[in-house]
Amino acid sequence: MTMQTLLLLTSALFCMGIYGLVTRRNAIALLLSAELMINAVTINLVAFARLAGGVTGQVFAVFTIALTVAEVVVGLAIVILLFRWRREIAIDSANELRH
Amino acid sequence: MTPIEYALIALFVPLAAAFIIAVVAPLRYAGMPAALLSVAAALVSLGASLALLVQQIAQPDRVIHEVVRWLPNGPAALAQVGVHLDGTSVSMSVVVTLVAACVQIFSLGYMADEPPAARGRYFGYHSFFIFTMLLLVIAPNMLQLFAGWELVGLTSYLLIGFYFQKPSAAKASVKAIWVTKFADIGLLLGLICLFAVTGGFEWTATLSKGWATAITLLMFLAVVGKSAQFPLHIWLPNAMEGPTPVSALLHAATMVAAGVYLVVRADPLFAQAPTTQLVMAWIGGFTALFAAVIATVQTDIKRVLAYSTCSQLGYMVCALGAGASMAGYFHLTTHAFFKALLFLAAGSMIHAVHSNEMSAMGGLGRRMKATSTVFIVGALALAGIPGFAGFFSKDLILEAVHEAGMFVPWLMLIAAAFLTAFYMGRAVFLSIFGPFSPTSEGAHESGFSMTGPLWLLAAGAVGIGYFGSDFAALAGGTYHFHLGMSGILGTTCALIGLLLSWLIYGSHRLSPQAFRFVAPIAWLARSGLVDRFFEFAYRRGALVLADAVGFFDRYVIDGVMNWIGWSTITSGRWLRRIQTGNVRDYVYAVVAGAVVIVFWGLSR
Repeated sequence: MTMQTLLLLTSALFCMGIYGLVTRRNAIALLLSAELMINAVTINLVAFARLAGGVTGQVFAVFTIALTVAEVVVGLAIVILLFRWRREIAIDSANELRH
Repeated sequence: MTPIEYALIALFVPLAAAFIIAVVAPLRYAGMPAALLSVAAALVSLGASLALLVQQIAQPDRVIHEVVRWLPNGPAALAQVGVHLDGTSVSMSVVVTLVAACVQIFSLGYMADEPPAARGRYFGYHSFFIFTMLLLVIAPNMLQLFAGWELVGLTSYLLIGFYFQKPSAAKASVKAIWVTKFADIGLLLGLICLFAVTGGFEWTATLSKGWATAITLLMFLAVVGKSAQFPLHIWLPNAMEGPTPVSALLHAATMVAAGVYLVVRADPLFAQAPTTQLVMAWIGGFTALFAAVIATVQTDIKRVLAYSTCSQLGYMVCALGAGASMAGYFHLTTHAFFKALLFLAAGSMIHAVHSNEMSAMGGLGRRMKATSTVFIVGALALAGIPGFAGFFSKDLILEAVHEAGMFVPWLMLIAAAFLTAFYMGRAVFLSIFGPFSPTSEGAHESGFSMTGPLWLLAAGAVGIGYFGSDFAALAGGTYHFHLGMSGILGTTCALIGLLLSWLIYGSHRLSPQAFRFVAPIAWLARSGLVDRFFEFAYRRGALVLADAVGFFDRYVIDGVMNWIGWSTITSGRWLRRIQTGNVRDYVYAVVAGAVVIVFWGLSR
């Protein structure tokens, strides 16, 4: 696969993530969308690492995966707490921090 | 012991006494022990000063200048403190400690009726005063002199307000500190200028003519305040609210003379400024005359003496203006003796009749022989009658002013000499001779602690005039007594004044009604014009200015500050609308921001 194909793939993934983030109301769907965007970035890291040679980019990709796991854990925990509190996970109604 | 050690003993023993009295409360509440401690400290200080004087007389031109760094600023120091011992400072410190010791011993009897705690406080202040005054006297530069200057102002305030329960005394003390602090701004500015120009606080500095005039004029403003010269003399008559021994020590003999001492000390500076000297001569001469006029119409014996002090300080200032610092300083010394004597004798009489009014004292001469005798001695010395101390110094001043060619100030001094003799004669005839007044019937002579110091001071009031040449040697000048035209004229005027007062108040051959033509002057003198002027200036000048400044502060400075606060709150209220709490909106904002950054990056 050429670099161009890879970049097109990651752009598509990233845009799908944004689209999901903007249009979905379900908190779990939002987490999934965010996950798509992060994976787009991770693929970019690996692609550019191959282009530049060396392993630094690949190491960072591993880091990113680990961080993503952590992020998902925290995010799901928040979603569960939100559900316990409000009996729903539609985020439009969860705007208490505004006040 | 070295001279420095003597000086330090004279300086710090009274301070230690004041500190102990201030800190050890039981001692202060006990009264008498505190008083004895204070008197003992004063006597030690006097002894050390006398030892220094003996050494100084042996070597009249010895100058000891010992300083240590103060306010260090890197390798250089901003200023120095220390001890400067020469003929002037040594003799002045003897005058200060001698009069202070006399006054303190006198106070043992005079204040005996006060509550013990008040007595302890009183003597604590007195000890502190000796320290502050000596700090001023032996100062090696203007800065230490200024420190002492302010501290004596503080003790003056404390002692005027000694009877702080009395509203009039509290007001008088505030008035005194107001007026003198206003004047002290001049000294402070003068010192700042001196430091800016020369980088030091030495009075030996050589200055350009303009700076010398500016600095000395600023300093003279402080002298006008401290030495109660016209128009800032208004605080001194009110200062008589304090106990009479305080009036004798601070407001007659020593503290008010600090202004004169400052000019004597800073003589090298003042000698460079002929304009300032001219101003001094005129203000001094005018004060001498003006205060003497007011003194002739007072009925309160302490007020007579207070205005007389203003008048005599006017003599000294006028002499200094004529460039005769030795004459002014000589008069300072003789005046310290006879004015302290007069005040203490007046205090003894007040103590006996419990009133300040001269009409209440009629005929005291037959009840209080010793007090009356010394009062008459003091009055004759003040009037400048030949043979008494005041005669020699006043004669010297009249000569000097005449020689300096200052005709109008000289004329005012001659007129003041006449009035001085007149009002002192009046005081003597009203309070000592004449028929008994009801209050003086039961009066009796005061105890030895009060009469003893009186006799000592009376000896000074008579004898000190004969030491003019020794004195001149100490002050670094020469003095040979000779009676010139000025002296004869001044003495004749004084004798006429005395005769006139006898004719009116002694033998009643002349009725006061014969002098109705001076009634307008008397009315003016009594009405306190200067006080009213200052009141008017305060209400119409200072208060209006304060209102204007207050307006600026409230509406311009505060306005800007309030506007900043208001605009922050308002803009915050507007900006919080974009905080919707909706995640989608934030994502839009993030994406929009990212797009903007990308395009900005591409377009570069």
